[in-house]
Amino acid sequence: MSRNNVRGPTSALTEFLRESGITTALVTRRVRQGQGARADPQQPAAGPSNADGENAEDGSAQDAANEEYNSDKLDESEDENPSAKKKCKLSKKAAEKAKAKEKAKLKKKKGGKDDDSDYEDDEDEYTALSKSMYAKTSPAKPPVGSFENCAKCEKKFTVTRYTVAANPPPGFLCHDCAKATGTDPFKKPALPRKRKNPQDKRKVVNFDDKELPSLASMCIKIISNHINDVEALGNIGQVNLDEISRVLARNRSMTCENAPLLYDIQNTKLTLYDATKLTPPAFCTLASLNPGVESLRLDYCGRINDSALSHWSGHLTSLNRLELLGPFLIRIEGWKTFFQSHPQLTGFLITQSPRFDLSCVESLVENCPNLTELRLAQIGKMSDEFLPHIASLQHLEYLDLSEPSSSLSSEAVTRLLEAVGSKLTHLNLSSNDLLDDTVLTEGLLPHAKKLSTLILKNTPELTDSGVASFFKGFRSNPPLHHICMERNHNLGDKALKALLHHSGKELRELNINSWKETGNEPLTTIGNLAPQLRTLDVGWCRQVDDFVVKAVLEGCQNITNISVYGCNKLTINCPRKHGVKIRGIETNAI
Amino acid sequence: MPRDVDMEGGGKSDWVRITSVDGFSFMVLRKVAMGSGTLKNMLSSDSNFAEALSGTCPLQERAVVLEKVLEYLAYKNTYEENGSKDDLEHFEKRVPPEIALELLMAADYLES
Repeated sequence: MSRNNVRGPTSALTEFLRESGITTALVTRRVRQGQGARADPQQPAAGPSNADGENAEDGSAQDAANEEYNSDKLDESEDENPSAKKKCKLSKKAAEKAKAKEKAKLKKKKGGKDDDSDYEDDEDEYTALSKSMYAKTSPAKPPVGSFENCAKCEKKFTVTRYTVAANPPPGFLCHDCAKATGTDPFKKPALPRKRKNPQDKRKVVNFDDKELPSLASMCIKIISNHINDVEALGNIGQVNLDEISRVLARNRSMTCENAPLLYDIQNTKLTLYDATKLTPPAFCTLASLNPGVESLRLDYCGRINDSALSHWSGHLTSLNRLELLGPFLIRIEGWKTFFQSHPQLTGFLITQSPRFDLSCVESLVENCPNLTELRLAQIGKMSDEFLPHIASLQHLEYLDLSEPSSSLSSEAVTRLLEAVGSKLTHLNLSSNDLLDDTVLTEGLLPHAKKLSTLILKNTPELTDSGVASFFKGFRSNPPLHHICMERNHNLGDKALKALLHHSGKELRELNINSWKETGNEPLTTIGNLAPQLRTLDVGWCRQVDDFVVKAVLEGCQNITNISVYGCNKLTINCPRKHGVKIRGIETNAI
Repeated sequence: MPRDVDMEGGGKSDWVRITSVDGFSFMVLRKVAMGSGTLKNMLSSDSNFAEALSGTCPLQERAVVLEKVLEYLAYKNTYEENGSKDDLEHFEKRVPPEIALELLMAADYLES
């Protein structure tokens, strides 16, 4: 390996390979053969199983190299076998052996890769040898001053300390040939690059003022930790009750036993943020102990089923707003009975209900004509056929038809907006990937008069100029308060300018995450044009730099949250302000 | 034993007295008491409340709860101003769980 026989510690695999007589030189040659085979497609694939594919000696340099190489590789066939018979016999054996070696080589390569994965090589990572195997260093260089025959021109030359190993090996090049190959013989060997600490590789900085926790929040935490010892919470106020519910959800510690602590006969509003552990009978208990509840929100209510829902039909008589996340088990019949018993429903918001189908929508629209809020998010069976039914809901103000399994079409959505657009204040059509500019220009532009929240995440058909002309023409509508159009890669300068011009002065929340082509100049104007901004997400807008953040901090007095993940132009000098959270500063400059 | 120390705050005592419903009274620094929104309003010099004039705030809380509230206010006063929060003690550990609910209600009332 090295001339002086001093070896550092080696891995068990290296040791094993050395004992088996597998040396780096062999491996290097084998790799060279692989490259040679790729370079010359006419050559029958020079894989190990091609022992019989010994090339006819036609004298070309390439072939010569390959031949020399091949003979090196298949140890036995080193001396061109005199008899074809022997060769045949051998070839199988050789193939097997070579195969085993190939395997070992792969293994070794893999091991090497693991070790060296942090070196940035210009070579293909998968075919590159690990550093230690390079022929440059591995075959012993003859002592300086001795004579050697050049591997290329076969002239005799004197070895100096600048003598270069032939590439591909073996052998060394004379000065002229080395010059001809273009390698700089005076180049100092690259210093081994220092391996980066995995923690340092992706350093994300968040500016986040840690507020001293309030006494109330600490108490809530303590109570939640001892929730099973609490017999009754007493009169701690609605806000604290809600806060306890929230903290319990965070620990996922709400159970059938402690949930009744939050129940009260006087409750008109009840929110359980994580009802994972509640069983169908617990949902019945909920209905019985909160008979007056009008607004009910249950997140992660995966175990609610038809029996619980039909119990609600009889007990939650004053319910008019229902918000469920994940009511997977409820069947078509369950929904229908519920709608029939709750004609007064004004809000029906569900997310993820795979059995909710067309007949359920028909029943909903027929029984609950007063709906103002409707969310059918992540509904598997959602289709264009749903929309004509929804269109007959004349009072709709909040509409969320996001993330269906297959996208709604632009035409159908446009027709729906014609019917219900005039009263809508909140619209979410995220992840409907077929929606194009016509929804905006023909659906919203002429019909939406009151819209204040527009959420169109991940709608890749929208174009920059289409969105720009929508906002330019959107005079019928007052400025929007909340715009979320993240993951629309095609949007950029024009859309942002028009958006800020139309809605800037009232905008509270803006999310333009992944508008990657947006230029620096329009981004810098966000601070000036949207003074009311509270939350801003400009993640993956590549042109965001310190000055964009500075403009936002100076222009928006109420800003509290800025998200800047993937904005590599930011530096550690990014301006910051007390009370403003800046998340995700990720920079190479740190 | 109120020490009448004249401070720049209009000759008002630097200390205020807070009494509990079961007859205990606590002397705390005025600026510590000001950490609570409710006490701040009570003691505000703009108002003409009896509390502001006498520098005494009677609170309808038990002493054991009140003591903890004032302890928190002192803690808040100590740590809120100095920037480094690395050496922050965990106040939670100093709250016995049996008074947590009562403390929550007191904290809610006192806006602390």
